[in-house]
Amino acid sequence: MLVSRNIVHLDMDTFFVSVERLLRPELVGKPVIIGGASDRGVVASCSYEARKFGIHSAMPMKMARTLCGDAILVRGDMELYSKYSHTVTEIIAEKAPLYEKASIDEHYLDVTGMDRFFGLQKWTHELRESIIKNTGLPISFGLSVNKTVSKIATGEAKPNGELYVGPGAVQPFLAPLSIRKIPMIGEKTYRLLRSMGVVTIDTLSHIPVDMLERVMGRNGIVIWEKANGIDRTPIYPYHEAKSVSTENTFEQDSIDIVRMKEILVKMVEKISFELRDKQKLTSCVTVKIRYSNFDTHTLQQHVPYTAFDHQLIPVVKNLFDRLYQRRMLIRLIGVRFSSLISGNPQLNMFDDNVEMVNLYQALDRIRRKYGQKIVRRGVAIRNSEIAK
Amino acid sequence: MKFIISSTLLLRNLQSILGVINTNNTLPILDDFLFELKDDLITITSSDLETTMRVTISPDKAEEPGSITIPAKILVETLKTFPDIPVSFSINTDTLMVEISAGEGKYKLSGHKSAEYPHTPSLEDTTSISVDSQLLSQAINKTLFATGNDELRMVLSGVFCELSPDDVTFVATDAHKLVKYKRTDLKSVDSASFILPKKPLNLLKNILSTLEVQVAIEYNKTNAFFSFSNIHLICRLIDGKYPNYDAVIPKENPNRLTIERHALLTSIRRVSIFANQSTHQIRFKVSGQELILSAEDIDFSNEAKERLSCSYNGEDMEIGFNSKFLLEMLNNIETEEICLEMSAPNRAGILTPLNNENKDEDILMLVMPVMLNK
Repeated sequence: MLVSRNIVHLDMDTFFVSVERLLRPELVGKPVIIGGASDRGVVASCSYEARKFGIHSAMPMKMARTLCGDAILVRGDMELYSKYSHTVTEIIAEKAPLYEKASIDEHYLDVTGMDRFFGLQKWTHELRESIIKNTGLPISFGLSVNKTVSKIATGEAKPNGELYVGPGAVQPFLAPLSIRKIPMIGEKTYRLLRSMGVVTIDTLSHIPVDMLERVMGRNGIVIWEKANGIDRTPIYPYHEAKSVSTENTFEQDSIDIVRMKEILVKMVEKISFELRDKQKLTSCVTVKIRYSNFDTHTLQQHVPYTAFDHQLIPVVKNLFDRLYQRRMLIRLIGVRFSSLISGNPQLNMFDDNVEMVNLYQALDRIRRKYGQKIVRRGVAIRNSEIAK
Repeated sequence: MKFIISSTLLLRNLQSILGVINTNNTLPILDDFLFELKDDLITITSSDLETTMRVTISPDKAEEPGSITIPAKILVETLKTFPDIPVSFSINTDTLMVEISAGEGKYKLSGHKSAEYPHTPSLEDTTSISVDSQLLSQAINKTLFATGNDELRMVLSGVFCELSPDDVTFVATDAHKLVKYKRTDLKSVDSASFILPKKPLNLLKNILSTLEVQVAIEYNKTNAFFSFSNIHLICRLIDGKYPNYDAVIPKENPNRLTIERHALLTSIRRVSIFANQSTHQIRFKVSGQELILSAEDIDFSNEAKERLSCSYNGEDMEIGFNSKFLLEMLNNIETEEICLEMSAPNRAGILTPLNNENKDEDILMLVMPVMLNK
């Protein structure tokens, strides 16, 4: 018999928008869309006011603008959001016994057993209050018996609310909700289940599990379990990133190889700084390209552990040359460093000289102080940027 | 071709040249030993094309000179199981059948044509020098660990030997650590330099450690030839230009730390257990007469810090090293105290023994730091 657990799901409300509003109060109460400004970008986040127009995240920007022409577009600053996300994580880390950072704005907490000492709802409420007080950002939580139910509860509690679903209340809570609320059910599964006549979680939970398995394979079993409020996945304590990566979709598909190599240099500079900043070293470099017909190819190479631009740039350029074989327009390029380990780059007595190492340290100091984009290699800067 | 020989004598000699044979050979005949019987002497050869070793032994009895190659693995495995008994070999060089009789047993295996065995390079235009086996073994021991493994930089995978009328210097480096081992009691008439590959040096190291003989070294532009007792070793030199190592040894090192070697060694060994197990990085923080060693592994929340007293002249500084390099270096120094000279956190540290009793020996070890944040 499994001991009954208490899991909290904490989720920032419209996280990116809230951060922007904190810095620009004039955005409060207005429809705000965060995402790439070009027609090819997608909506990363949008305010509740914008949602009224039918806008949702991951929707193409072009469509969002057609739906609500008055919405305020914000380019978005991931660096800034990560900083706020980090602050939230710090508050949680200080108070919670076991937590998992599920994404930039979501955390799961395992608070099993804590009700012996604190009222669980009260404790979680205080944690939420403390986050709101310290960051000024709205946050919601669901408190229940496992990750799935807690997450669904958070969804119901939003915006800026909290919801407790006790062990006995799970079934009645889930039953009337749309199957769409189950985290695993996306557009495709939803359509499939709807075509079978399943609308509410209640119906789904009463379908024989064998039948779901026949229709959807192993996933069917998991979905059925979730519909019945069963989810045994544990809280994975917060883990360091396993890789660092960046990618860029061009505004227009391109074959400008020279420009692409410049962008690659810029990308390497960006993520290798990230490595050095986190005191990580990489030993696996991957380059990715997506052709205009969405064919995506990647190529990777192992290198001795490093975090230096001057060692990684030639590797990335070489991988790109080997990867770009088809004379076709390119839509996207990306770079990823993986197989990370903690450590500082080992200096080489023949290849590295003191001046260069001092330069790295000085540049990194400037970047830490004034932001990563403040100093870059000449090739990585566009003429249009200089004009500004 | 027939001969009788003591099993242990044969085994001992085979084992001294067995190390040359690679486990995976593109040329199957390289899995064999070449046996040549001539003038009542047996010469046995093993080779991997780069390195060739040869021993000459005299059997108790020999008839019908000839030659054949015999699979090394089967032969050695068999000999290992024998007590010390006479073993008689009877070989038909036409059918290539090898018949071994020992005690009550009879064993048969087939060999290969000796004509197919690769020829050992002949030595022309050689210069020679004679070295004491213990000295050579010492020089190999002190340098070999610092050689590199990078196949893209073959020159660093060997030990660089620099001969001059005043002294002989052995250098090894993998670009992260460097050892310069100079002997003033060894001199050469001519100045010359060459790079010896790792494999033959490893083989020599194992054999020489127990011997007290003079080793004759002959060399030309492409090969080096070592001969001592009944053993000969020929190896191809690594072709290429050895980097200018003297240029990377910092000349001005105002920060000088002297410390008891054993104390430092045990502290590093202990502290490095708490370091990241793939990077092995530890920090040295020196201020006043105190050295603080620290290491951490963020992934497992492991952390260690140790304080050591030392004698220090210079500015306070913080420098990071790979602890593995330091351990290897400290293990290869014998003196009670060592000296670590440094100039800046991004420059090499120089490790030297203090009050070395051997006046003819000059050891310098250099270790590159890691780039620390801040």
